[in-house]
Amino acid sequence: MTASTDGATSRPSRPVVLLIPVPGRSAIHDLWAGTKLLVVFGVSVLLTFYPGWVTIGTAAALVFAALRIARIPRGVLPSIPRWLWIVLALGFFTAALSGGSPKISLAGLEIGLGGALNFLRITALSIVLLGLGAIVSWTTNVAEIGPALATLGRPLRILRIPVDEWAVGLALALRAFPMLIDEFQVLYAARRLRPKRIPKSRKARRRRRAMELIDLMAAAITVTLRRGDEMGDAITARGGTGQLSANPVRPKLADWVTIAITIAASGAAVALETILHSTY
Amino acid sequence: MGALCAVIAIISVVIPFAAGLALLGTVPTGLLAYRYRLRVLLAATVAAGMIAFLIAGMGGFMTVIHCVYIGGLTGFVKRKGRGTLTVIVLSLIAGVAFGAASVGALTVMTRLRHLIFEVLTANVNGVAAFLTRVHMQKAAVDLTRYFAWALHYWQWWMLVYYGLGVMVVSLIGWWALSRLLERMRGLPDVHKLDAWDGSKNEEAPVGPVPVRLDKVRFRYPGASQDALREVSLDLQVGEHVAVTGANGSGKTTLMLILAGRRPTSGTMERPGTVGLGKLGGTALVLQHPESQVLGTRVADDVVWGLPPGTETDVGRLLSEVGLEALAERDTGSLSGGELQRLALAAALAREPALLIADEVTTMVDQRGRDALLGVLSGLTKRHRTALVHITHYNNEADSAERRIDLSDSPDNTGMVETSAPPVPAVAVDYRQHAPVIELVGVGHEYGIGTPWAKTALRDINFVVEQGDGVLIHGGNGSGKSTLAWIMAGLTIPTAGACLMDGRPTHEQVGAVALSFQAARLQLMRSRVDLEVASAAGFSHRDTDRVAAALGVVGLDPTLAKRRIDQLSGGQMRRVVLAGLLACSPRALILDEPLAGLDAASQRGLLRLLEDLRRERGLTVVVISHDFAGLEDLCPRTLHLRNGALEPLSTTAGGRA
Repeated sequence: MTASTDGATSRPSRPVVLLIPVPGRSAIHDLWAGTKLLVVFGVSVLLTFYPGWVTIGTAAALVFAALRIARIPRGVLPSIPRWLWIVLALGFFTAALSGGSPKISLAGLEIGLGGALNFLRITALSIVLLGLGAIVSWTTNVAEIGPALATLGRPLRILRIPVDEWAVGLALALRAFPMLIDEFQVLYAARRLRPKRIPKSRKARRRRRAMELIDLMAAAITVTLRRGDEMGDAITARGGTGQLSANPVRPKLADWVTIAITIAASGAAVALETILHSTY
Repeated sequence: MGALCAVIAIISVVIPFAAGLALLGTVPTGLLAYRYRLRVLLAATVAAGMIAFLIAGMGGFMTVIHCVYIGGLTGFVKRKGRGTLTVIVLSLIAGVAFGAASVGALTVMTRLRHLIFEVLTANVNGVAAFLTRVHMQKAAVDLTRYFAWALHYWQWWMLVYYGLGVMVVSLIGWWALSRLLERMRGLPDVHKLDAWDGSKNEEAPVGPVPVRLDKVRFRYPGASQDALREVSLDLQVGEHVAVTGANGSGKTTLMLILAGRRPTSGTMERPGTVGLGKLGGTALVLQHPESQVLGTRVADDVVWGLPPGTETDVGRLLSEVGLEALAERDTGSLSGGELQRLALAAALAREPALLIADEVTTMVDQRGRDALLGVLSGLTKRHRTALVHITHYNNEADSAERRIDLSDSPDNTGMVETSAPPVPAVAVDYRQHAPVIELVGVGHEYGIGTPWAKTALRDINFVVEQGDGVLIHGGNGSGKSTLAWIMAGLTIPTAGACLMDGRPTHEQVGAVALSFQAARLQLMRSRVDLEVASAAGFSHRDTDRVAAALGVVGLDPTLAKRRIDQLSGGQMRRVVLAGLLACSPRALILDEPLAGLDAASQRGLLRLLEDLRRERGLTVVVISHDFAGLEDLCPRTLHLRNGALEPLSTTAGGRA
């Protein structure tokens, strides 16, 4: 039989990879996970209260600097689906039509840029926030996040908040995450292998879809519960929770430097903005 | 559970057109609220929220908060046993409360609020300008006016929006949760170990050995027969004992009793308490490799759970089990044998006086099994530990000093083996020696273009012919599962093509049957007849066809009404095969069919598959990391290493 090499599509789309650091070492990879979490949290709060161009620019500069230092290649970005581009274009178009200050004159026509600028501002804000979270995901080993949270939350223990419990829960969830994703893939594949029955009426079709959804959820939840119970047995066999990590990591000089740079940059941005009154 | 909620929140943020899935994220949180205390729900929220934030930013975090808020409400109402009306009322109140909180937050964050409102106004004005251009003046004016009015009273609008929104989502979540609980008949609980209750005998010292059992029996509550018949034994310090017996003879029950469960009759004497997981107490190594390893890094897992401040020599423990080179690796990339050795190292970190190894080699391949046994056999000489090794392989018991054999208990539900497979009702005429599956230059790479790109398969070429039996043999990470998925049409290979009858397999999903390694994941319905009927595509009321399908795999037709969770491992695998074979597939691919089965079940399954291949001309492809016993079923063997085929080695009668 002749073989038609029709298999591969012209350009495969890049998948979304979750919670696996980019291989390689760099200064950002070596930073303590707690520093990265603090920086991300701080900048997010800053941007929420001061979403002006100056602060967005400063945050974007920090993000790009971190990306360069960590030597993250362009391939990490998942392919952006076409519908997202369409939605963005539509939003930009309608915002641009509205006009508003500042106005510029171009070839005798007065174009109001206000609406478009604001739309761009919100888009830039969202992208910078996503980028911050992504940097943590791309440069941090998942095993360090649980202990980092436990250390960061230590002052909260005074308020009798069970931070240790939460850190253990987070560490276990991160451990179980890849296993559960694999099992869900198998569940979904097993469903695909089954023959499909097309029922006659539309009502029967709706009911069948609802039942299928419930079945899928029940299967997924049973699988998760079983994993959870097995892990619970393993925890009991180890005598309960306790230490999370063999070599506790302490913040080093690089971490303090990073935090200092972030605070300085944010302070300068806020000051500049208040002085300039560029936004209100 | 937190991971499940996080998964749904993440998937709904990241994958397009899946926004509706966010609604379903309320169901797992509802289950959590239903089954456990509020504290558990809070811990799950923090875990899920952080994971969602790391992956999808603030949006993911807010989705998780929504799911928890609404799911917690529905679960709580379910637990108190109230009805739909309570849900409506409570969700309305909760929605308004959430809306008030959002209003408060937005009032404080003035700059952000103004930015958002400006952008919204700009968009609306833009649409109005567009409408004016196309001569719909009145519509444009109305739009602008209504929008300005709505913006003026934005607080009220938010309250109404949140109140109604939360109510609608709560109702949907409530419906899903009720259907789900009904379907699952309550939540199954496979918990086996009792947590060491530290409240009483807090002061009692830990001392599990020497232990003496006198006429001990155990019966599970609600069972009609004893799970463990009368047994008397004693265990000295530093002894190596093997406990053998077939499936169902009570080995696991004995393990539970030694680990602290109270027997239904008989006496037990030990010098102190069991001390599960405590220093100098009892340590367990169980059957499932992945669920036992709790840390994400190898070195972290050895100390996981030890009381803070305990000094442990991680390097020495890892070198004792042969894993010292892997100390910084991620546990997700280890094989089954390595995971079990790691669990052993973690157990040894507690310097136990009694170590119980319950069927630790069942889910492990041959090489891992040898390594494990090597560690176990010298254990009692290196440590002051009594070792109880529970196994159903007779050769593993040979290295022990003493051997205890639990004979078959009457609770063992055996499989009905028919003497000869029944003749199929419709004689299907397969052409002899026609190629069924052709792989031409197949290669597969995961994550092309990303820095995590990994080549799973490289230039695979072979042909599987009608009635052939092929064994694809490879170790961990050689790409066997990827190959199985490509052959079944579930994955499109990035290079080359996998063809069946000239057309690619991914266009004919379902023509090739695939039995996954975990039979559990392939069984979707709650009863055997429902499952077989759904897998084959006919109604479960067609009892003749169900009985015929069960008969093909050697199962008694009376098994049709049995619930899936009451089946043994071997029976589950046969039910999966019954469903797959009832579709008359062109070929059958089996991924690790013998994993987790004891010797008798393995032999029975192999005999069944050989009969099917001989009588019906079924094409069988087995993917495995073992050779044992498969020579009759698969006269042809292909070796896969690091994604490439090694030169074929054929046994007698095979094709080159």
